[in-house]
Amino acid sequence: MGFVVIAMALSVFGARLVQLQGLDPNSYAEMAAAEGLVEVDLPAARGDILDRNGEPLADSVAGLMVVADPQMTADRAPELAKFLYKRLHVDYASTLAKLREQGSRFEYIARRVPSTRATQVVDAAAEAGFKGLDTRRDPLRDYPAGDVAANLVGFMGTDEPLAGLERTFDEQLAGTDGSAKYEVGGGNRIPLGDNTVTEPVDGQDLHTTIDLDLQWYTQRVLRQTVESSRAESGFAVVMDTRTGELLAIADDPTFDSNAPTESPKADLGSRAMQDVYEPGSVEKVLTLSSLIDLGEVTPRTRIQVPSQLDDGGTHPIHDWFSHGTIRLTLAGVIAKSSNIGTVLASKRFEDGQLRSYLESFGLGRRTDIGVRGETPGILPDDSLWTPQTQDRIAFGQSLSVNAVQMAAAVNTIANDGVRISPSLIEGSATTEDGAVVGTDHATKHRVISISAARQTAHMMERVVDPDVGVAPAAAVPGYRVAGKTGTAQRVGAECGCYDGTFTVSFAGFAPADDPRFTIYVVVQNPGNGGGGGSVAGPAFAKIMSYALRRYAVPPTGTPPSRLPVEW
Amino acid sequence: MSNPVPQFRSRIPRLAEVAVERARLTVVPRRRTRAARVPFVALVTIVLLGGVVGLLLFNTSMQQASFAATALEGQADTLAARQQALQMDLDRLRNPQRIADKAQRLGMIQAGNPAFVQLGTGEVSGQPSAGDPAVPFRIWPSITKPAALNPRPHVVTVPPEGTLPDAQNGNRSGNQTGNQTGNQTSNSGDTGDGKPAHGTASGKNRQNQQSHQPQNQNQR
Repeated sequence: MGFVVIAMALSVFGARLVQLQGLDPNSYAEMAAAEGLVEVDLPAARGDILDRNGEPLADSVAGLMVVADPQMTADRAPELAKFLYKRLHVDYASTLAKLREQGSRFEYIARRVPSTRATQVVDAAAEAGFKGLDTRRDPLRDYPAGDVAANLVGFMGTDEPLAGLERTFDEQLAGTDGSAKYEVGGGNRIPLGDNTVTEPVDGQDLHTTIDLDLQWYTQRVLRQTVESSRAESGFAVVMDTRTGELLAIADDPTFDSNAPTESPKADLGSRAMQDVYEPGSVEKVLTLSSLIDLGEVTPRTRIQVPSQLDDGGTHPIHDWFSHGTIRLTLAGVIAKSSNIGTVLASKRFEDGQLRSYLESFGLGRRTDIGVRGETPGILPDDSLWTPQTQDRIAFGQSLSVNAVQMAAAVNTIANDGVRISPSLIEGSATTEDGAVVGTDHATKHRVISISAARQTAHMMERVVDPDVGVAPAAAVPGYRVAGKTGTAQRVGAECGCYDGTFTVSFAGFAPADDPRFTIYVVVQNPGNGGGGGSVAGPAFAKIMSYALRRYAVPPTGTPPSRLPVEW
Repeated sequence: MSNPVPQFRSRIPRLAEVAVERARLTVVPRRRTRAARVPFVALVTIVLLGGVVGLLLFNTSMQQASFAATALEGQADTLAARQQALQMDLDRLRNPQRIADKAQRLGMIQAGNPAFVQLGTGEVSGQPSAGDPAVPFRIWPSITKPAALNPRPHVVTVPPEGTLPDAQNGNRSGNQTGNQTGNQTSNSGDTGDGKPAHGTASGKNRQNQQSHQPQNQNQR
């Protein structure tokens, strides 16, 4: 009897054995293995974006998201919501709704919380007897300086970079995530169990040439300028004359990279690179320095300037101030910013000469410093280049530029006639289009002779002269400053014609006889009716004074230019 | 050299015959001895036990190490996260905006022009100047009220007292001056309604004005 029972029991075991081992052994083996097998992502740390002194413009912090299981939190939702409001500063009402969400088992409470704080809060909640809170990995990108250089740096979306350097150099910054696969028992790794690890490759830091403090100061001066002149927008560029490194590219209005959604979309790009506008009178220094280089004129060349000039086009050319026939030297044409004088001088160009000079100054071509969506500007094609066009281009109409392009062109005069390509990236980096940019790839070429550049700088010094110039407010006491104002009519987006608004600007460099910085300030559509000298000039002076102070540039102590402006 | 030895040998037998006889080598009978089993078994047992126990200890210690590793890894993660969070705080504290704000609260202002002293010659260059507190350096954006919160003022001109019979006309002209400052739609709508209450008698001008205001607000 007992034997029969034992036999029956054994045959049941036997059948089960056949079922387990004979029919489908692999799937059971896998299930057994999967029971204790864990696979975790090893996230690569995203590289920082640094300024020229290694101060972070963007850095990465281990972050966590706090999530809730409404089925467990619904009972004590109001208390928990109050707790979370106090500790995590989340919105009370929407958190309460999430904690009570019917039929859901997963709700985001807070995202991108620094992990120490998230852990503290969740632990404190557990201690206070709240159930159903948990954390998950959620890397956090922090922009310690907020809006400083935000227009260049860009920002991150939920999972990927959305704008600026973050996006352009994502490949370098992102690195490659790794993964680890191992068996655990009771939360601990089993020492001799399966174990495979692919180490993550961390992203590399991106070094920029931006100077954080100077960038901040430039942005604040620019904002004050834009606000007090009731302007639409503005931008400013600070460039190291000798190396072409961009120390600051400021935009206003700007945004906070930590909260990009709070600002209008139009403010999220870099106007200094993306706004295309007519440079106006600032361009005159390019025209006249080219003429000096050709040997056609000198700063003392005498020009008789009539009250208006009919150049055969539909509209005669006027000056910004009404006058009878006046007698100006070439230096006076710059100092007084006379359109007519410039056009008369430019008659000495032969066909195509002005265009090739402007091309050599870098107009009509992207600077390719690594900022997205840069406009190349508009330099009219040879086929569209009529004498009337040339007259207008000579004083800065009928061609368009971007701010960095124009700053680099003016910097050519500061740098003894050699154009250095501007750069924003220290060293070398590859953009998402595969272009290599950075200071390692900066190029230089001579545009005008040393003597032509120095003579032009001498003429530009007269612009800030309190007696003869149009922009005494751009002077920096104690230093020799060379500059040029610009007040250009703007082309409206809808009509494609001059819409009655203005772009006012000031470009210059100091010390004039040994330049260290080239600064270009542009203000769009000032509502107070100011011009380049009164709106952009003071901003230029403030930024230049700060830069010279910051980099301890002593005055050269040489006597300033005394070129005659009239004859 | 080989001579002395045979001589010596030949002499000895004669002296101690018996002793020599006794000292002669003979084959020793084979003795069967049994090695003691106990030590060997003990040794093997010890080796085996030692092995098993050692393996067990080794495993245990590896487990212990694994626990320790897990704990230390967790600690390292926490500390790394803490370091990053502190670094973030530090970077935020070093934000030029914050420093400028603190400085301004302490009453500091932007510097004026510096002077440079050449250490070699003692020469001073530059035009030094003190910072000018009268020129404010704004580090925060100026606050402008959104247009929605800043509506244009409503101007309702009350006809001078005494101009009677046609209060409605008076109203209309008053509204037209109001129109110049803006909000045309609401004002024109106001008169267009032609509520009978508006056209009432003389002494009610004041009341008339009061009745306008809530109406304007409704139409905003």
